[in-house]
Amino acid sequence: MHPSISIERRQLLRALGLAAGTALLPQAWAQSAGGLKSGRLIIVFLRGAYDGLSASVPYADPYYARLRPSTAIAAPDGSAATALKLDATFALHPALAPLMPLWRSGVLSFIPSAGSPDPTRSHFEAQNHWEIGTPGKSNAPRGWLNTLAEIGAGGGTAPIAIGVGEANPKILSGPAAVRLIPKGKSATQEGVLSNERTRQALLDLYAGSDSVSSAFRQGTDSRMSSAQELSQEMMASDNGAPSAAGLLLDAQHLGTLMRNDRRLRLGFLSAGGWDSHANQGAVTGALSQNLGKLGQALVQLRQDFSERGDVIMVASEFGRTAAENGTRGTDHGHGNTLWLIGNRINGGRWHGDWSGLSNGNLHEARDLPVHHDFRSVFCQVLRAGFDLNDRQLQDVFAGGTFDPRLAGLFRSG
Amino acid sequence: MQLLSIMRAALLVGGAMACSVHAQTSAPSEPIWRASSRLGYGPNPTLVADVSRIGGVRAWALQQVDAAYRASQQPAAIPAQFTRFHQPLTQIFPVFEEERKARKAGQEKLQKKEDGEPGAGNMETPVFSRDAAREAAAWRVTACSSPALENPLLARMTEFWFNHLNVFSGKGPVRPFVGHYELNVIRANALGKFEDLLLASAKHPAMLFYLDQAQSVADGSTGPLGQAHGLNENYARELMELHTLGVNGGYSQSDVRELARILTGWTVAPRQASGFRFAQQSHDTGDKRLLGTIFHNQGLKEGEDAIRMLARHPATAQRIANRLATFFVSDKPSPALIERLAGSFTASHGDMRVVMRTLIESDAFWQADQTLFKTPFDFACSALLALGGPHQRRDMALTLNFLNNAGQPVQGWQTPDGYKTDAATWLSPEALTRRADFAMTLAKQVPEPEFLNAFLSTATRQRIGQEPTPSRTGLMLASPDFMRK
Repeated sequence: MHPSISIERRQLLRALGLAAGTALLPQAWAQSAGGLKSGRLIIVFLRGAYDGLSASVPYADPYYARLRPSTAIAAPDGSAATALKLDATFALHPALAPLMPLWRSGVLSFIPSAGSPDPTRSHFEAQNHWEIGTPGKSNAPRGWLNTLAEIGAGGGTAPIAIGVGEANPKILSGPAAVRLIPKGKSATQEGVLSNERTRQALLDLYAGSDSVSSAFRQGTDSRMSSAQELSQEMMASDNGAPSAAGLLLDAQHLGTLMRNDRRLRLGFLSAGGWDSHANQGAVTGALSQNLGKLGQALVQLRQDFSERGDVIMVASEFGRTAAENGTRGTDHGHGNTLWLIGNRINGGRWHGDWSGLSNGNLHEARDLPVHHDFRSVFCQVLRAGFDLNDRQLQDVFAGGTFDPRLAGLFRSG
Repeated sequence: MQLLSIMRAALLVGGAMACSVHAQTSAPSEPIWRASSRLGYGPNPTLVADVSRIGGVRAWALQQVDAAYRASQQPAAIPAQFTRFHQPLTQIFPVFEEERKARKAGQEKLQKKEDGEPGAGNMETPVFSRDAAREAAAWRVTACSSPALENPLLARMTEFWFNHLNVFSGKGPVRPFVGHYELNVIRANALGKFEDLLLASAKHPAMLFYLDQAQSVADGSTGPLGQAHGLNENYARELMELHTLGVNGGYSQSDVRELARILTGWTVAPRQASGFRFAQQSHDTGDKRLLGTIFHNQGLKEGEDAIRMLARHPATAQRIANRLATFFVSDKPSPALIERLAGSFTASHGDMRVVMRTLIESDAFWQADQTLFKTPFDFACSALLALGGPHQRRDMALTLNFLNNAGQPVQGWQTPDGYKTDAATWLSPEALTRRADFAMTLAKQVPEPEFLNAFLSTATRQRIGQEPTPSRTGLMLASPDFMRK
């Protein structure tokens, strides 16, 4: 990538409104005609603030075991009862062992100290900030993935973004058309719509121009096609394998639907249950079980999204306290580990800054700091991986800045 | 021009628009539909007759407040098939503890089996907790759809306050206590004083377990429940962020820790009727400073004072007023309405009967442009209610399954913020088609509920009239008219 320094007037004006000292997008990123023409981006959001320090384990940091007397993952010794060594600094939770091949083949990476610069420790505020795409902003008519969907649609009306599992996630809400598949096996059934007469009666009842009626008509179309695609897929793959549930089932549905409709290029999944205030466990236990399920789902996603331009990202609203609390759990923190998988990801290594767990280096003497604004991470991905130009990036993440320390996140060429 | 853009946006994605969820037709029946669907879960023939006997829907609505309060002071009319969830805590606790041991033993056995040790096998799965939680959910569905068993406004207020003080039945230790919490904390205080409700929730095992307060002890002390040895800030944070002040209510991280210190020693008591005890040896006896107020060591009273202080805080009045207006009136309620409700809350010291009367007497409650789209729970309850309540086991299974898939399982929201209730959350295309599934399946072969015709538009009635009789009831419930409240 050859940086050019052509700043448009509009962007300059915008830029001047931003805080001083930030490296602005246009200074480092080339202009392009506009992006998201190819490649697919899958976001897996872990609601409840997952404990990144148990996933990417800073085993070599002497403070780690001291801060976490009962919840530290033991330093790697080669056995399954300890963390799996990644490099001289980090190791992987053993429940995430299925991801090791991805690390070894260089397509898995992480940023160990990323997050939102907003200091809130409220799950709900922080999730809103992430989904709207603006730290500190909790109310907005659209989420950033919806803005991105509009850019990617390039004026077309067919949805290019799909969410599976949640009724209406904030990140996807907004004026651009998106597809939302409710959770569970009933996504594979047409239900009463399979009866032609009933379907016609319902469509007539919902013939109006109000929002409920138009939503119903849109839902009828997508429901019929979802059900047909998913049930065929199920029959094809159901060779006595145990039936999937939760995040894994959602991941399977997402993979199938995005394979069958190649116009869909943005996918959103989420999983809850990460708020481990008490008895979170270590190598085994509650958190370990959740990580195991996450690992399975990510392996599934990697099977379905392993083309050159595909990127899978895993993030959470904030991290947890570096120290264990009084009840063998961890409380709400700040910075956290963000994961990336993709053929173009410069993987098998981690990116960005890491300042360790010594008290003086912690945020408010208790949490991992945020060295990398989540907007910078996403901007880097959208720029390097999806060719968005500066104006588009500003539309998706107002105030998003170029972070030169993440410049090596993607392989060049 | 603006309307056009609203319609265009709504056309592109269901859910983006909070308002204009339905083309309003102000039929004479509209106020009855509105009041009965918001202060309860919809009309039925008895209710329609009551309104005309009382002489108007406003008078009827105001009467509901006292009727609901009276009902809340009586035990719930729980059908005989429910045997577990309403047992006294002294009976639930021993079973819960046995199950815990059995589960632990089962896990060890399972581990041995995986390790290939001989003689290891599967234990019987403990089922009391699971069944009690299912019963508790089934009772909620019964209560919301059976006005003969439960006053509709009481069922509504129970939903509102359960959601505000949410606990999650999927968390192991919470599971067996959810029904008891719903009846004895939420329902019993649903039209009483807010601070009494808040204190009751703070002392109930379901909440003590859910937000980990039961284990939080003074730093360095040994807790009553084993090896815990320090603070857990979970409950203290959510008590301020969600139950009282709100996230912008003016507290800091330091206040979170100070409140957690004040509450150290609040824990469960398996052998006491209340299920609660204050463990002096786990209490932090130092001075604390919460929101500028110094709390000296006063044991249990310290925490009670702190909770009452939070309940009486002006930010709490604002937060409750906002939630009530959003729940009962509009996704985007007017600031004037919120101010009025907050004023009523403050003046009455959080007396919910007074606040609910203020709400019903407000013009906003009755304005046709203050639209609401039914949540999945509203929809399921109102459909069952229109058909006379859940008749068979199948109805209940169908309903609970629908709610699970719709993303609103009863007592099944994992995080303490509770469910959202706005159209932006629940109005989405494929989800709407699943409502039609549920309605058509539930109402298969059920004769038409004649009274419902008065609440449907002419166009809807005429179109349904063209269909064969067996599918008419389902279509009524699946119609766009039935989606609003």
